[in-house]
Amino acid sequence: MTHVVPEAPYCAWSPITERRFGWPNGARVAVCFVVSLGYYDELGPDGGVESPTPGGAIQVTSYPDYPTVTHRAYGHRVGIFRLIQLFDAHAVSPTVAIDAETARQYPWLVAECIRRGWEIVAHGVSQRRPITSALSEDVERRYIGEAVAALTDAGVDRPAGWLGPQGHESHRTPRLLAEAGLRYVCDWANDEQPYRLQTPAGDVVAVPLMTELSDAGLHWTRRVPIARWAALVKEAFDVLWRDGATQGRLLALPLHPWCIGQPFRVKYLEEVVRHVAGRDGVWIASAREVANALPAA
Amino acid sequence: MLSPLQRIGDAPWNHRPHLAWPNGARTAIWVIPNVELYDYVPPAEAFGVTTIPPPDLPSYCVRDYGNRVGFWRMLEVLDQHQIRCTVNINLAVLEHFPHIKAAMLDRDWDFCFHGFYNTRAEPRGLDEDAERAFYRSARERFAALTGKPLRGINFLRRATAALPDLVAELGFTYHADWFHDDQPTPVRVARGRLVSVPYSVELNDALLVLFDRPYEMDYFVQICKDQFDRLYRDGAESGTVMCVVLHPWVIGYPHRINALDEILTYVKRHEDVWLATADEIAAYYLDHYYDAMLAHATRFADGIATQSAHPPS
Repeated sequence: MTHVVPEAPYCAWSPITERRFGWPNGARVAVCFVVSLGYYDELGPDGGVESPTPGGAIQVTSYPDYPTVTHRAYGHRVGIFRLIQLFDAHAVSPTVAIDAETARQYPWLVAECIRRGWEIVAHGVSQRRPITSALSEDVERRYIGEAVAALTDAGVDRPAGWLGPQGHESHRTPRLLAEAGLRYVCDWANDEQPYRLQTPAGDVVAVPLMTELSDAGLHWTRRVPIARWAALVKEAFDVLWRDGATQGRLLALPLHPWCIGQPFRVKYLEEVVRHVAGRDGVWIASAREVANALPAA
Repeated sequence: MLSPLQRIGDAPWNHRPHLAWPNGARTAIWVIPNVELYDYVPPAEAFGVTTIPPPDLPSYCVRDYGNRVGFWRMLEVLDQHQIRCTVNINLAVLEHFPHIKAAMLDRDWDFCFHGFYNTRAEPRGLDEDAERAFYRSARERFAALTGKPLRGINFLRRATAALPDLVAELGFTYHADWFHDDQPTPVRVARGRLVSVPYSVELNDALLVLFDRPYEMDYFVQICKDQFDRLYRDGAESGTVMCVVLHPWVIGYPHRINALDEILTYVKRHEDVWLATADEIAAYYLDHYYDAMLAHATRFADGIATQSAHPPS
């Protein structure tokens, strides 16, 4: 039996207890709200896949898929404005992941984020066109280029971050992101601190999201009630704050305006924001600030 | 070859020899963290993976989180409660992650063989000779890596029909593959002796959250307490066993870890509880009950065969 080395290429492994990582301002916990403005194509691409959860089933829907497409469009039309209002009210700057279709079709949303100085992350082309190893290297390179170009065309100044649709990558994605000049990536949801992915084209910093606490995953897909979602996020924060006494921890919370922006849900996000903002030892950071907090190699 | 139900036979709960745990304990509790390794890019004949062209990065990352972060948070709580675990181990973890290996050996935990990687299908698909060689190489590699004997085995859906015969022949003392009972059970094997120490698909953190299931650890706490209460009550008459299954990539998240503390605090508040490893439970059972229970089950089966009516009391 052959045993390949299991570690993913580029990805150095160490147990968190062996590190001595601190946030630059001495915070115990950095909290990063990561809002996904992802476009759902009306027609999935040939061979397109959706995998909402680890171990989840493949789902390819037929045209027209009114329920999914219109439910997701709610986020771009209404939900995002509830989030903007909430973040403005609490003087919190989230990080917003925007895909190419959103940037092209909803340029005013990009402008709202730019005007507020919010960090904007490249988010692929559309949510039903995730990267997988089935793509050729050329196609994947063009895909990344298209996603970045759509943002710069919409006025974003040199995007530095990447979040793949549904967090999917091929085995070559970190290298291609480095080649494209991107400096951090949010697909590697395997840690509570930023760390370095080393690629032949240079380093990319992994900014791990807490995908297990995503509103879309925990609440929408798994149907854990929304009040319980808020309680779990607060509990996670409290434990990270406790563990942050010895070294810095990250709570990068994925949010989806089509989900948490619904009228009956948004107050639970407010509950979360109130719980974390203004606490001692908390740094509300953007994904770029989190990446920059990692000391140079 | 015997079927699984032929291997355990029948022995109704209300007609068994009385089982007394050491020191008058009513219930033996064992905690089994699954310490696993998932391939980033699994081999073509992989086990339990999605149809995403690999890597399935989100699935990989959740499992990798377990070893980077979750294991250590889980360990802190287990240490607070001084729990000696039975680890369901993917042997490749011991080879690739020396920190995890050292942490487990420092605590003198016991180990149950759970494959080399969690994404590999073996022993499924092996012929009998290859399967025997597979278990033998696991024992040899485990001994070389740890200096300890490997006594248990857990393969669940990967297990083969021949597994009990082959592992008993090689010196394993128990398997934790079946869910048939609240007590250990003798397993009929071709040569030697083998105990089934029941595992749990119920008190299992991962099975509450996988496959889009809507539970979180408040429910885990509730079912563990309820399970304990009933087993503790029944254990006043004859000893029972309770298995708590953990995965560092589930329970080790910050929104879940408090549940483990709550469960362990609850059970440890009770007298007459035996916090044991599966190795200890199997050894005690082999020494005190295996032969009596096997004879009882055999008499019971004979009674059924001759009377073809009601079981003997």
